[in-house]
Amino acid sequence: MSEGARRVLLALALAVLAVAAWRVAGALPMFGSATPYGQAVNALIPDARGVSNMVAAVNFDVRGIDTVGEEAMLVAAIVGAVVLLRGSRGEGTTDRAVRVPGRALEPRADATALVCRIGAVVTLVFGLYMALHGTVTPGGGFQGGAVVASGLLLVYLGDGYPPWRRLVPGPLFGVVEAGGALAFVAAALWPLAHGDAALANRLRPGEWKDLYSGGLMVVSNLAVAAAVAGSFALLLLEVMEETREVQSGEDDAAEEPPQ
Amino acid sequence: MSLLPWLVAAWLIGVGVAGLATSRNIVHMVGCLSVCQSATYVLLLGIGFRAHAGPPIFYDHPPGTPAVDPVTQALVLTDIVVGAAVSALLLVIALQVFKRRHTLDPRHLRPLRPDA
Repeated sequence: MSEGARRVLLALALAVLAVAAWRVAGALPMFGSATPYGQAVNALIPDARGVSNMVAAVNFDVRGIDTVGEEAMLVAAIVGAVVLLRGSRGEGTTDRAVRVPGRALEPRADATALVCRIGAVVTLVFGLYMALHGTVTPGGGFQGGAVVASGLLLVYLGDGYPPWRRLVPGPLFGVVEAGGALAFVAAALWPLAHGDAALANRLRPGEWKDLYSGGLMVVSNLAVAAAVAGSFALLLLEVMEETREVQSGEDDAAEEPPQ
Repeated sequence: MSLLPWLVAAWLIGVGVAGLATSRNIVHMVGCLSVCQSATYVLLLGIGFRAHAGPPIFYDHPPGTPAVDPVTQALVLTDIVVGAAVSALLLVIALQVFKRRHTLDPRHLRPLRPDA
């Protein structure tokens, strides 16, 4: 198809979209008015489940099956990316650093390593806090897992590739990702064995505003945190493995952190 | 005024689609797809918004105080996570395309052949 014909087609599609969007916008509820389903959740869940974070309650209890499917999508996308990245290389990894031929590799400054080490610890603790308090305060497994994975990236930034790989062995990420996803599916299937619906909350809800409030939500929240952290860490690892180019006879000494 | 959030969402998806259609770089297309996706964030958060209401987290204020819709916020949350994973997958595909065809321009891509 020629360039001109494509533009005409695009203009037609956008015109149709504009008309449709205008009609839909007119039919939507008034902006700022209360939506019945969400207000029912806000009214009923604090008493029924003992949690204070309604978003987590929707994710892990009210619409928990949706989240199981969404978790499967996440794991499938990550597995696809990892399979593509590994390609013919297989599962082999090395702990050599990324090296572009002909570019000098400056050792990192002490200040960089210090700031990144402090930042990595703070980020990891903050990510764990967000994941653990998912049913109480803003946060949850998805956000906490992503923050933990970015904390791992700070370790790489400050200390370089070999120390990063020594700190966390690669297969661990895969185990954490798959284990988290498996635990979430197991938490969804477990009530079926007792004749309940999937993800039915059979555990005690606990105290309102307590760290362990929410019953089964605590389990699914932690499982999702592990799966998300493992997924993104695995992705970071494989992208770095793929984009680096190993030169024969290169030494690792230049990549060591300054003493 | 009450139409503004929906118009912003429609505008975002419109410019995203326009960028996708005219793009000459696969990495740029992944960015355009993210713009399209942010239209869904605006739309969902706009639907869930309730005037003069707080966050749907009853920690500092007791249950029963007006709060916005938590369902749409949960949908946006899962939307963002899946979007990040799918963007990563698409960028990895772009990497493989560049390795095999040495181009990122979608107009120069032809159907895959076993000998290529």
